[in-house]
Amino acid sequence: MNPGDRVRVERAGHTYEGVLLPSSTDEHLVVKLEGGYNVGIDREHADAEVIEEDVYDVVEETSTGRDLSDHDVAGAQDDDGESEIEFDDELPTISLISTGGTIASTVDYRTGAVTAQFDAEDVLRAVPDLAGRANYRGRVVANILSENMTPEVWQELAEAVVEEVEAGADGVVVMHGTDTMQFTASALAFMLETPVPIVFTGSQRSADRPSSDNVMNAVCAVEAAKSDCAEVLVCMHASESDDRCALHRGTRVRKNHTSRRDAFETVGAEPLGEVDYDTGEVSFRRAHERRGETDLAIEPALESDVELVKFTPGMDPAFLDVVEGKSGLILEGTGLGHVHTDLVPRLEELIDDGTTVVMTSQCLEGRVCDRVYDTGRDLLDAGVLEAGDTLPGTAKVKLMWALANAADVEEAMATSLAGELQRRSVPWE
Amino acid sequence: MTEYDYDELGLVAGLEIHQQLDTATKLFCNCPTELRDPEESTRRFTRYLHPTRSELGEIDEAALEESRVDREFEYLAYDTTCLVEEDDEPPHRLDDEALETALEIAQLMDMQPIDQAHVMRKIVVDGSNTSGFQRSTLIAVDGEIETGEGAVGIEDLMLEEESAQRVEETDDGVVYSLDRLGIPLVEIGTSPDISTPEQAREAAERIGMLLRSTGRVKRGLGTIRQDVNVSIAEGARVEIKGVQSLDDIDDIVRTEVGRQAELVEIAAELGARDASVGDTVDVTEVFEDTDSGVIRGALDAGGSVTAVPLYGFDGLVGREIAPDRRLGTEFSDHAKRHGAGGIFHTDELPAYGVTEAEVAALREAVGAGSEDAVAIVAAATEVAESAIEAVAERAESALEGVPEETRGANDDGTTRYLRPLPGAARMYPETDVPPVEPDPSAVPEPELLTEKVDRYQAEYDLDAGLAEQVAYGEYMPLFESVVDGVSASDASGGSSDSSDGVDPTLAATTLESTLTELRRDDVPVANLADDHLEESLRLVDDGEIPKEAVGDLLSALADEPSLTAEEAVEREDLGGVSEDEVREAILEVVERNEKQVEEEGMQAFSGLMGECMGALRGKADGDLVSRLLREEIQKRA
Repeated sequence: MNPGDRVRVERAGHTYEGVLLPSSTDEHLVVKLEGGYNVGIDREHADAEVIEEDVYDVVEETSTGRDLSDHDVAGAQDDDGESEIEFDDELPTISLISTGGTIASTVDYRTGAVTAQFDAEDVLRAVPDLAGRANYRGRVVANILSENMTPEVWQELAEAVVEEVEAGADGVVVMHGTDTMQFTASALAFMLETPVPIVFTGSQRSADRPSSDNVMNAVCAVEAAKSDCAEVLVCMHASESDDRCALHRGTRVRKNHTSRRDAFETVGAEPLGEVDYDTGEVSFRRAHERRGETDLAIEPALESDVELVKFTPGMDPAFLDVVEGKSGLILEGTGLGHVHTDLVPRLEELIDDGTTVVMTSQCLEGRVCDRVYDTGRDLLDAGVLEAGDTLPGTAKVKLMWALANAADVEEAMATSLAGELQRRSVPWE
Repeated sequence: MTEYDYDELGLVAGLEIHQQLDTATKLFCNCPTELRDPEESTRRFTRYLHPTRSELGEIDEAALEESRVDREFEYLAYDTTCLVEEDDEPPHRLDDEALETALEIAQLMDMQPIDQAHVMRKIVVDGSNTSGFQRSTLIAVDGEIETGEGAVGIEDLMLEEESAQRVEETDDGVVYSLDRLGIPLVEIGTSPDISTPEQAREAAERIGMLLRSTGRVKRGLGTIRQDVNVSIAEGARVEIKGVQSLDDIDDIVRTEVGRQAELVEIAAELGARDASVGDTVDVTEVFEDTDSGVIRGALDAGGSVTAVPLYGFDGLVGREIAPDRRLGTEFSDHAKRHGAGGIFHTDELPAYGVTEAEVAALREAVGAGSEDAVAIVAAATEVAESAIEAVAERAESALEGVPEETRGANDDGTTRYLRPLPGAARMYPETDVPPVEPDPSAVPEPELLTEKVDRYQAEYDLDAGLAEQVAYGEYMPLFESVVDGVSASDASGGSSDSSDGVDPTLAATTLESTLTELRRDDVPVANLADDHLEESLRLVDDGEIPKEAVGDLLSALADEPSLTAEEAVEREDLGGVSEDEVREAILEVVERNEKQVEEEGMQAFSGLMGECMGALRGKADGDLVSRLLREEIQKRA
């Protein structure tokens, strides 16, 4: 008896008939009944027989989550499996790069959770609304959940973006899980000089629901990728309505809610721009790098030996022993940028030992300033660098990049390289 | 109405009953299950829905059909709704109270609970669910209820979330209210075991009684909906949606049997006549100079008239198949679904301003003879074209007999065409909610309402009528808790020590008679919360206010529900007059009428009683006044 078989199960005098599904526990047989309902039947007390083998190909689905050969459903493919989408000289070419994540995900029967499984062509199929807005190139760099993202994948992604732009892409859309999107966007912002927009997007509500935010986010991301803003951007819902997406600078954005569509916010400023879903119009609030002004360049090297440590009251000083010998340490301090006074000597040792220690604030909003209180002054005396209003996560990525690429790390950390460090504190702008 | 031999016709009917549960919180979040006025909305937002493939890789045709138009949905949110209703937060775990209630209901119907219940997503893209699906869980199967005409099987019981309430249609789409979304709902489906209209009604009544026996179902308009499936041997399965009242069920079944029987006869007659449906034709020219208002209007707006010849149909299109509904009405329903206002057909023409000459020209234009019929649609060209195709299609199925379809209940017991029967395979698992393993042993079996009626008489000395009113009434759970001395806000069950409880007769008469009287006097009784009623009953029971004042108190609370009962007593000055004050007032009355008392003795009682009550303006308990007055009279007699 295997998943996909039509089965008849007797249990306490009642007969259940349907297709056997992969069960997530050993105790239950899960059967999809005629009416569409799934039921779990106690294996121990059930009497099951196979009526017909292999009536449905769910075994294949267990491994891939979905029968990917079933191409004609969304209408983007003809019967031969060839793409029906023809190249249109009038339209710009946008490269869609998939890294996995909710925007391209479906159900995994074994874990019962949502996993990533689409390639870029699948996204076109899943989001038919993209048709007619651009010519598309698609590629898959990774197929991972964004919590499994690594600096190595950031580097592969950066290389892929360069290849796509060299191959003629007028803009790049990166489909990415939302959990760590801000880190990857920051990484690309530091690694790349780009003449075209690089727009990250994803979805907060899974693509397997009719209400998913993936359609509007993808459509708006493509519009942003066609725009004049040659920066690394994050394009996600601006509100809980399906009316417009906000465009955030990759180094200033933060996922500030676990589940809302409008979870992404620019910290310390209003979003850089906006895309109107209805009209596709892209507008910007502030100055930005313009298309074609920069030559394409990449400096992908990263020093991966960098940690981010959040200080909280009661923290065991031994915690800092773990980072001994590391190249870099980002501290997420309290308030203006503080840690317990007793930790200052230990930090001084680390710095003397060659670790670059940079202070950020867990307030997130606002600028670190260690000249105001004694603890701060002691930290500065110990050699701790200040990250200004750089977000802690961004600061970590920046330090990884600076340690590998900058001639003067201290100066790099005090300079805005990709919009991460704002010169003026004007959060209302 | 004609009575049919249902056995001979082979009537098979089943019921689907949807009942909202009266739980403290919604099925997948901790919001209250409270209905709101759209004007109280505090937030609004807009969404679109995009259909997805179901778990087994198919797109439901009905879902696709609904999604073809790019509709915008606007949602009204309240201070009683949260991100879960907005589909901006994953659902919480299945509500325990709702599951327990569903199991209680399953037990009352002798059903077998599912070992491991899986929450499913049922795709619905009309916007009534923000997610684009309704969450539904099969909880139990294979039960049975008794009726006078034999057992009726209960196939399944589902626990699902109620949809959002449609507020209005706009040019862009639909406005929905989120207050109702997520209220737990049980759906109970019977087997097709029902063989007479009376049995359908009896089964529905029985199920309704069992549901209310739990004391945990919502009451009032819209909280229970009944769908009826009907077919006769030569007919077809027809699903009738939205029967609002139990009283209508037998009529609905009777009328549907009649409709199917007539359609079968019509099909036989059409077969004998070798009837057929011709090609649709544009007949705008025939009506170029028409004086028919409807047609003139359509043509002046740039529209067209389309027609379909129905060979051999003469006289049958106008034939009545249900009270005041003809075969032509069915055609018309289909035309309406495609946006037309309706149809005209030759069985009813000339009429509506269409002349005899025009009818003749029409017949000529489509090649229809005197034994044939013609149906026409006048509307905007595109609508007229698709509507007449729909009419032709429906006429084709008239040749076969009864089409399978979903119909909607009308107020007069008839039904109208709604849409084709929905397909299966539009469900996939709700992965955000883990499966639950219901534990039926933890669920107490509730006392049936029929058993309650007996107990109320035996235990509380209520008369049979009042006992039945209370047991079947809206306030049964409140009655039981106040009489048992358990606060209504506490869990039910509780102690049998009735010393803290309110007097059962007081509670019963107040909750039934007094409230009925108030309702009759247009007091907004619906504003009264359980707390109001409970506090008021306690005040009377504790002697804080006389029972004569309870009507005034409840009336005051209904007018201003923000008050507590005690505040209302104070404000309305209903409060207890002390025994001394009562005696004082009585003394005054007795002294004023001293002479009469001396002369008549106890004969003066009834006259003076009225005067005393008047003097106390109903603020004193009648029994007390009576006792003290007797004492005073006796002293002097």
